[in-house]
Formats: sequence, C-alpha cells, structure tokens
Amino acid sequence: MLARVANNLFWMGRYIERSEHIARYLNVNYFSSLDAPNQLSQSRQFVLRSMLFMVGNPELDDNVELEESQVLYKIGLDAENAFSILSNVKYARENANSARDLISTELYEAINKFYHYVNNYDADMFMKNSLHDFTVNVTEMTAVLRGKMRGTLLHDEIYAIIMMGINIERATQVIRIINAKHQDALNAQGSYGDKFSNSYEWTTLLKCAESYDMMRRFYKKTPTSISTLEFLILNPNCPRSVMNSLNQVYKHIKVLDPSKKYNKDSTAFLVGRVRSEYEFKYITEIEEDIQGFIENILNSLGLISQKMEKEFFNY
Amino acid sequence: MGKIQNQIFSSYLRNPVLYDELFDKTGEIKDIYSRLFELYGGHTIKEYVKLNDKAKSSFFNQGITFQVYGEKESTEKIFPFDLFPRIIAPEEWEIIERGAIQRSRALNLFLWDIYHEKKIIKQGIVPLELISSSANYLNQMVDLDPPGGIYNHISGTDIIKHNDGNYYVLEDNIRCPSGVSYVICNRTALKRALFGVFNHYRTHSVTNYAENLLDLLETVKPKGVDIPNVVVLTPGMYNSAFYEHSYLAKTMGVELVEGRDLFVENDFVYMKTTHGPEKIDVIYRRVDDVFIDPLEFRADSALGVPGLFAAYKKGNVTLANAPGTGVADDKAIYTYMPDIIKYYLDEDPILNNVHTYHCSKPDELKYVLEHINELVIKPVDEAGGYGISIGNRLSKEEIEEVKLQVKANPRKYVAQPIMSLSVHPTYIDDTESFEQRHVDLRTFTIMGRDRDFVLKGGLTRVALKKGNLIVNSSQGGGSKDTWVLKS
Repeated sequence: MLARVANNLFWMGRYIERSEHIARYLNVNYFSSLDAPNQLSQSRQFVLRSMLFMVGNPELDDNVELEESQVLYKIGLDAENAFSILSNVKYARENANSARDLISTELYEAINKFYHYVNNYDADMFMKNSLHDFTVNVTEMTAVLRGKMRGTLLHDEIYAIIMMGINIERATQVIRIINAKHQDALNAQGSYGDKFSNSYEWTTLLKCAESYDMMRRFYKKTPTSISTLEFLILNPNCPRSVMNSLNQVYKHIKVLDPSKKYNKDSTAFLVGRVRSEYEFKYITEIEEDIQGFIENILNSLGLISQKMEKEFFNY
Repeated sequence: MGKIQNQIFSSYLRNPVLYDELFDKTGEIKDIYSRLFELYGGHTIKEYVKLNDKAKSSFFNQGITFQVYGEKESTEKIFPFDLFPRIIAPEEWEIIERGAIQRSRALNLFLWDIYHEKKIIKQGIVPLELISSSANYLNQMVDLDPPGGIYNHISGTDIIKHNDGNYYVLEDNIRCPSGVSYVICNRTALKRALFGVFNHYRTHSVTNYAENLLDLLETVKPKGVDIPNVVVLTPGMYNSAFYEHSYLAKTMGVELVEGRDLFVENDFVYMKTTHGPEKIDVIYRRVDDVFIDPLEFRADSALGVPGLFAAYKKGNVTLANAPGTGVADDKAIYTYMPDIIKYYLDEDPILNNVHTYHCSKPDELKYVLEHINELVIKPVDEAGGYGISIGNRLSKEEIEEVKLQVKANPRKYVAQPIMSLSVHPTYIDDTESFEQRHVDLRTFTIMGRDRDFVLKGGLTRVALKKGNLIVNSSQGGGSKDTWVLKS
C-alpha cells in the first residue's frame, strides 16, 4: 500500500470516529441536563461550556453569556470550524476519496451518503429542534460505517491501518470526554449536596461513551467516580474503554509489523509498552492524579501517532 | 408522420430534417427499437420521472460527481444521464469496430514514422510544417522505441452519424482519452432503474474493459520484466476525471499513484509504500505529457516525477500512452487520416472522415472565408469543444470577427462542412417530456503488443441544450447508455 494513501486511511478512521464522539457528546449532555438533579447541571450555560471544552475550544471568560444556537451551530454544522461535525465528516470523505480504489464500493458509498446527509442538513432546523435527530443519525451512520469496514473490507493491512486510526482516536476522545466530565463533576460539587464521588456527571459520562448499560450490568450499582473511571479506562471488555482501544491498536499494529521481536524504535514496541503500562495499573493510582493521567495518556497516544507517521506514512 | 401511440412519447416533436435514431423518415419506429419503445411506453410520465430521480441519486450516492466552482462554495453535480439507451445493431457495430482499430493502427505506425525516419513527410504526403509547427511534437521522443512498439495504447474515437445515415469520425483522441468509466456507470445506473428491459435484448457487457486494459498493458512491459507491476498515475483527487482514475485502478486491482508517490533511482521507477520502495514497470498515466517529468518538460510541474523520462528512455518503464502522441490527434493531422491509412496499411478508410479545409492553404483559406456561414471553424489545438464557431449560428458581426481571427493565424484553423449529428429522444427535465437531441459516440480501443480490443459499447454523449451540436460534458452535455447488440 502507498504510504500516502495509508496516511489518508488512518485519518479517515480518525475523523469518522471523532465525528461520532462529538455527536454523542452533544446529544447526551444536552438531553441528560434537562432532568439533572441539581440546578447547575441543568443550567444551559454549564452544558454549553462543557460542549465547547470537549471539542477543545473552551470559553475562558466566565462572564460571557453563551448563545445556545450559536454554540450548537459552531460544533455541529459550521464549515468554518475545523472541529465541527461537518468538517470532520468532510475530511473523512476527502481521505476516503483519495483511497477510493482501495476501499470497498460499499464502504465508499456509505461514507459518501454520510457526507451528503451532514452537508445537506438544514442548519436552522438543527439549531431549533433537530439536535436529537441529527446527532442520533450521525452516530447511527458511523455505526453503519464500522459495519461496512468489518464486513466489506479484506482484513489486511488496509483494514489494520483504518482500525488503528479508529482506536487511537477512540482512546483520545474517551479521554477528552473523561476530562470534560471530570471538570463538570468538580464544578458541580456542592451544588445541592451533590458529592463529587456520586455526581450525576458520572452517569452522563458513561452515556457519552455509550457505556452506561454495560457498566450497570458489570457493577450492578449506581456509578461512582472510581467505578466509572475504572470501567472506562481499565476494563478490557468494555469496547469503549481506553484499555480496549490500546489492545485493538496492538492487535492491528501486529498486522503491519509481523516481526517476532520488535525493534525498540518501532511503533509496535511503543504500543506494547503503553498497553502494558495500563494493563497492570490500579485505578487508585489514576484517581490520585487524574490530570496527570490524562496528560500522560494523551502524550503517549500522540507519540504512537508520530511513530506511525515516521515508520509507515513516509512519502 | 406516423402516429406515436405511446404515453411518454405523446408529445414527441419529430423534425423530419434531422436523422432520428428511433424513427424513420415516415415516423415509423425502427425495428431495433420497437420492443424498447413498447417497454418504455408502459410507464406514465410520472413513473418515468421517479425512475429518473432514482437514477440520479444512484450516481450521487456512488459519488460519481464533478465539482462546480462557484463564487463562495463549490457544489457537486452529477453528469446528466438519460435513461433511454441508444442501441447499435451488430452489423453497424462491426464497421465501427473495424474502423476504430484501423485508425488506431494507422496512427501508431504514423507516430513511429514521424519519430523515426519520417518517410511520410519525405514522400510529401503529410506536410512537414504540420509536424514542425506542432507544440505536441516532442523532440525528446525522436528515435526512441516505446516498449512493445506501441504509442497509442488507448484511443478514444469520436464518431457521429450524419443525416445521410453514415458514420463519420470527428476526432481521434490518443493522449489521455476519458469517459470509459461513464460507459460502465451508465450501464449500472440503467440496470438499477430499469432492470426489466435487459431481458428483451441481447446486449454485450461493458464490464470487461478493465481486465482487457490490464492484460494489454502487461503485454507492453519493459524488457527483462517477468510479471510487471502496473499502476495508474493520476494528477490527484481534484482532477475532474479522478473518479475514472480510481475506478480503473480499483477494477484492475492495481495501485492508484500520484507523482509524489513515485521516485526514480538509477533510472528505475519506484513507489513509496508502507514497507519501503517497490519497483514499478508499467504506468498508465493520466497526466499530460508536459507534466510528467519536471526535469525534462515543464519545470514547475508538481504532478510529475523527476527522472521519469530518463527511466523511460532507458526502456525501464512503459508509459501508456507514450509521450508525444498528441502530435497525431491534432485536428490538422485528422484531415490527412485517409492518406495516412492508405499509406501505412494500404487500405481504404472504413470510417468516413469529414472533409476538411485547411486554412493554411491559400486557396482553401479563400473558400473558407467566402463560405463561413456553411462551415464549422475549429482551432486545431483546443480540446473540450472550446473555440468552435458554427457558421450558420453567427451574426454578421461575428462572421467578420471570425474572418479576422482566421486571417491573422490561418495555421491555427481548419473548417469543415456543418455535419448534422443524428438525434435521439432524450428526456428533458424542464418540459417533462422526450425531445430530439443531438448525439455522438466515443469508442474506446486498446492496443497491446499483439492484440487489440474495442469495448463493445461506448459513450453516447448528448447535447442537452436544444439545437446544440456540442456534446462535451464541459459544455453541458449528458450521456446515454449504449447497447451494442449481439449478432
């Protein structure tokens, strides 16, 4: 496979995954806030700020009154903003375009339909009353894309590259979501006796990662800070967890690098190192310093991406 | 005029002066179309509109679109596609196919000659200045032997049916002719929308193009290569034919590369893969001559590969089509085609050439200037239907303007009698009915070391504007599925 095209496929995977997380974050935060147990979590301003924080464009001035429709537009359908769902889907399709000869017709058509759906979505309607419809459809279409990838692509290097993109992005986004909701839980604490460890925000966090039902099944208890973090970070069986994503990345890098003993400078070696670090970690170690953990893991994921670029995308 | 009892054709206006592919002079439906006519007639206009929309969305979802650049943003459009197919009878096709091969072979021999001994010029059959003044004649190609002896591996021949009922070739395209992917997409779209009609005709398949292309490209591999590594070279995804490039790469199962994916080392060409360099042997390039190698041609080209031409010169890589073929599909050379065919093959041309007046010859220039209103004036080196003036459509002032242009630069212009392209019933959105529209046909011929292939089908292009004779998609043309029937 061409190095340039491999790079494009990697990013195609990342952009598709990213658009899904943003859409879900908008949806869950907005709608769960409507019947949140405390005043602050119900506040529009609180929710809108959380959304901007998650996409990496936080409003730093506490005194600014945010306009709901503007924030939604900016994150959803603003072509001028690189972080909007529309931009992500556009980039995904552009990357798919350049690799059109390699991916299946079925996958390409699905990406193309996805793009036209988002691109043609009526912005006024979206801001007024279709946030739910839009975000649910975006997440469903990404699920279709994942199905098309699994079901219509040969599970070879091309597939491995796309899956690496998806899983690195998934880990990154889940961490961003944890970061955002962790902030929210800190901010919400004390409001009407809401304690940090039992905050309503943990439920929202799990829903943002589509993991609430799984988590309830696993712990059979109301989520707390520590059980939520453990589930989303360390549980290898939760398909949205950081651990699971790292395992997937490791599995797919082996397709690209079949050596028995890795060169210490290789991507595979680095992935293995990062993976083992979290495989043998206590959640209490993470909980002691969540900010430290977040910085550390984002840094590691960034390094993996850079290594891949050097090793496989060199053109 | 015969009676047309068919709901969707009820408002069809037949101009008896034009050659209608469906109806004969008396207005009777031709035999070959009668079954299709009945089948389509089974639909109401309303149903037909629905089918038409479905076909459009099929193109849209498949991403077979091109960009229209507006002031603020670019929008995507599909190439207009007409659901009513064109049918070509086996005995007519047989002539077209033999004619297309004959022309491709003659052009290949012509190219070999003008880049080697130049016999045809020395014998005074083709004037030297046509070659020496052509921007498309590449001195770099002189005395160079392309692998397998083939220059024009892929040819697109533009053919029309005149109102005398005969086929005429309007143009040979032997640089990077495009459109073949639309032949296949049109078939797919028609199958999706009206699958039932295919049961009533024995039509040749068009899906075997890619396999034949790969097969024939492999026959012209460089010396010493066992199993050649073939790639398609594209200018990139912003090129208007990018869909076609990716389609061909995908269906041949080969890599689609851009110039920046390739490099040359010791006169061999490599592509940069995830596992390091991989040697390539045959390049089906869809990048124009002047852009293929900044060291040899245009230095500012970012689409090409530095050193590619040196590798080609050494015989280490095959380029299809060979550089320098453009000199032979020039509109001025076209006018010599009957002589060229006769000279190299000692055969009469199977397909007619349109009679052409050369403005470079004083007596012919005189005739042209006196008869502009009966002629089409064409610049010899423009593609895409640009710069064409159709005499009987011009105002007095415009005629004077054209005269001045031609007089100022006679070598640049040729003139031909106004050919009347045949018409085909075409569904028009605005009026929700079928109307007569002019059509042409582009056929695709592939030549290998010792085998030729003509795709049994072709691109029927339709001029969608009423009365318009120019069918190019860049000028608002559409297309139809084209059925070549089995004998």
